[in-house]
Amino acid sequence: MSLAVALNLAVLVVLPFVLTGVINRVKSLWSGRKGPPIFQLAYDVRRLLRKTSVYSSTTTPIFRLAPLALFVCSLASALISPLAGVPPLLSFSFDFVWLAYLWGLGRMALLLAALDTGSSFEGMGAAREATFATLLEPALFLVSGSLCAFTRSHSLHAAFALHPHDGASLLAWAAALVALFIVVQVEAARMPVDDPTTHLELTMIHEVMVLDHSGVELAAIQVASAVKLLVGTSLISSLLNPWSQQAPLLAAAASVGGSLLIAVVVGTVESLIARLKMRAVPQYIVVALGSGVLALLATAWSSGGVP
Amino acid sequence: MPTLLLSSLMVLLAGAALCVGLRDNRVSAGVALSTQALASALTLASILPLLRGAPAFEQALPWPPPIERVVFRVDGLSAFFLSWSLPMTLLGTAYAAGYLKPYFDRGRHGGPHFALLNLTSVAFVLIYTVQNALVFLLGWEIAAVAAWLLVIWDYKSQKIRFAGFNYLVSTHVGLFVLVAAFMLLHSRTGSMDFHAFGELLSHPSSLRATVFVLLGVSFALKSAFFPFHTWLPRAHSAAPAHVSALMSGVIHKAGLFGFLRFVLLMGRPEEWMGWSVLGFGALSACFGVLSTATQRDLKRLLGYSSTENVGIVAIGFGVGLLGWSWNVPTLVLCGFAGGLLHILNHAFFKCLLFYGAGCVYRATHTVDLERLGGLAKRLPYTATLFLVGALSICALPPLNGFVSELLIYSGLLGSTAPSSQDNLVLIATAATLAFVGAASALSMARAFGVAFLGSPREPSLQVGEEAPAWMLGPMFLHALAVVVIGVAPQLGMRLVRPVLLLLPVGPSADAALAPLAAVLSANRALAAALLLAGVIAFARGRHARRSATWGCGYTAASPRMQYTAASFSAQFARLFEPLLPVLRRERLPDELFAQQSGHLASHHVDAVERRIFEVLGRGEELVVQASERISEQPRFTFAAGFAVLLLIGVLLVESAAR
Repeated sequence: MSLAVALNLAVLVVLPFVLTGVINRVKSLWSGRKGPPIFQLAYDVRRLLRKTSVYSSTTTPIFRLAPLALFVCSLASALISPLAGVPPLLSFSFDFVWLAYLWGLGRMALLLAALDTGSSFEGMGAAREATFATLLEPALFLVSGSLCAFTRSHSLHAAFALHPHDGASLLAWAAALVALFIVVQVEAARMPVDDPTTHLELTMIHEVMVLDHSGVELAAIQVASAVKLLVGTSLISSLLNPWSQQAPLLAAAASVGGSLLIAVVVGTVESLIARLKMRAVPQYIVVALGSGVLALLATAWSSGGVP
Repeated sequence: MPTLLLSSLMVLLAGAALCVGLRDNRVSAGVALSTQALASALTLASILPLLRGAPAFEQALPWPPPIERVVFRVDGLSAFFLSWSLPMTLLGTAYAAGYLKPYFDRGRHGGPHFALLNLTSVAFVLIYTVQNALVFLLGWEIAAVAAWLLVIWDYKSQKIRFAGFNYLVSTHVGLFVLVAAFMLLHSRTGSMDFHAFGELLSHPSSLRATVFVLLGVSFALKSAFFPFHTWLPRAHSAAPAHVSALMSGVIHKAGLFGFLRFVLLMGRPEEWMGWSVLGFGALSACFGVLSTATQRDLKRLLGYSSTENVGIVAIGFGVGLLGWSWNVPTLVLCGFAGGLLHILNHAFFKCLLFYGAGCVYRATHTVDLERLGGLAKRLPYTATLFLVGALSICALPPLNGFVSELLIYSGLLGSTAPSSQDNLVLIATAATLAFVGAASALSMARAFGVAFLGSPREPSLQVGEEAPAWMLGPMFLHALAVVVIGVAPQLGMRLVRPVLLLLPVGPSADAALAPLAAVLSANRALAAALLLAGVIAFARGRHARRSATWGCGYTAASPRMQYTAASFSAQFARLFEPLLPVLRRERLPDELFAQQSGHLASHHVDAVERRIFEVLGRGEELVVQASERISEQPRFTFAAGFAVLLLIGVLLVESAAR
């Protein structure tokens, strides 16, 4: 097993739990509490795995399949992402299209599971999630398309290793960072878009969709969300990573450090900012879309095209 | 080989005549099915060498004046369209035999209906092979009139007759435009032969541009592109399910065939043609998907999604045309391969979805989403098959819709355009396509979720039994194709390849697709993992604990409180309000303790159709209103003055630059 594979696997196994733990720890520190252990999610998952699942009698097998499908999709998206600053486990042309549609499939599974329960709250969460996704997906494509145009490459690993060398690429790079940060906030159900800790179902998006899941299914959803968070942060940190061309260990250390730093930022933002009104959330996501357009416009000044 | 093809025409016509004459419905269904099966086998046998790479073949036949001599020519393009059109019509006929049975039991004579299905296949063979404009128009008209008569199966309902008439008028408006284009060409060449047309069209000229626009409009009307789609939602919701399926999936693909036929005759296109097809396609895709997300009639919803999908196909063709005009073989390959494969894929999943809607209608006698719910428990097979179609129409991996869209994406995002500005527009189109995908996921989650999941919304609605094997069989075959092309797209590409060989794709028709091979094997791995997940989920369900849905502390929840189709898309519809007009009929209670009960009904209407009726109904009034507003409000005068100043400024800068 080569060093790159080992690094990727190690990050994939450990970091999802750590990232969630770090965000929660940062939040507790800001609010003056001690906070749960960093590995709390791992303990939760272990506890959930030992529990018996309870299924609503309204549901069909879709309800049981959806969390596992989401888990498979998240895991598959992690395989093609530059998790550790070194080449990912799998990399191929147009893998970013695959990543976007994998997330789409996972989202679809969760939407259907939510509608399967026949609960009005879960239907509401599903409607919101689906609506926000329609604004988020174009932003993701604008960013990855622009980065591809700058780096003349067609894969996540190469495109997200853009290092700004002139004004245009600096603009695209900065816009991509902003857009991706918002993508991570929305996809990971974080403030100011969504509040993962609220006790009012009316204000929730992601959490309200999983109200009825329990046991193994809930564990699968929680791990899948954490892995998705890792994929998002690793994309940002691969843009930030100044040593991505250096020795693998240095690159990996920088990448993991970057991911942790983003987790700290996410936690800080969450502690300092209130959740947006539900009507204002689309406007916030449009900021990501706008940044994507900015990144795209910057490509007009790149020397793109057929050589 | 041509003899086989022509004998299939004879078989189909004989079958149609027999169907009309026979009194027993079961016998005429049998005749229609067996003649169509025979005709499909004959056509497949005649085009099989072409699919294997043999050259095109043709046969000239004498025909009564004024045509005198008509050439039937089967090339790669004909082979591609013939290879699935006839078999799918056969499957549709099998579905019809099951779907129409309740009508037959009540004494309805189904012979003419089956004869019309046979005639539709005749029209396919004519349209896809003839090289003469008059015979082409003949086939075109047979398809249009047959489709109209098929739509008005329930002719006793005034609403359905209106929808049929609306379709008939629209399709003939398209026909007039097509005739105009052919007359223009005839006036220059003195011939009605496609070969002569091709010689005239191969050089850029104003005539070529005019003909391109006329043909584009006509074919766009046939395939229901925005803004020529207004007939489509009505016709699809009025027609029997198999007719909607065949119209949307198979018959109206003739418009796209016509477009490709003339593109091939024309040879290398100009750049503006590519851009206009691309823009037109992107507009259609966006408008289609926006309307899809708000419909409450399941079949209307699926109808709008056809506008969306032909838009996606046109994006692919636009990319291909641009690549051709720029001499970039990769773009030609990705664009046309993606577009063509999407035509095939759309035929597979759209028919499947319409058939599913037909099963729902047969069991419940309604396709109104707000009245349905919880059907997955009553109609498990229909639900599973519908789900496969719904996932695939959202282009989710590992199903077939993803493969064709991936090909189009690889053209759009490949950074192969000659300038970075062109690339910029292509990337923006890719983002549009991503929006279309996500919005289509919303509308399909809504359609499937509201109709099949949860609990029944209207307890008084009688739900009949699961559809018979005659209906589920064709659906199963379609679903199988959806999965198979998803995990083994080379099977679909084998049908597309003969068309690609007619295009300037360079020597490496297959090599350019090689980079996608990795995605496709990743798809296969994903399919295997999902299958495993399915097995685990199924096994876990058997001894599980059951309980009521968590009502967030509220214990008196009722099925009426479930999220409805309207509420599911409400936030989305509000975001795109200008494009999704809502008719509201409301009388809300105004005092604190209302004496009278209020009511509220909201209904999404077609933006284009509403505008047409508005202009037709009170056009003069609108103009007067607008002119009054301009003189009243200073900002309009200000804007006009600013525009004039800007124009003068631009002209000055231009002249200075020279």
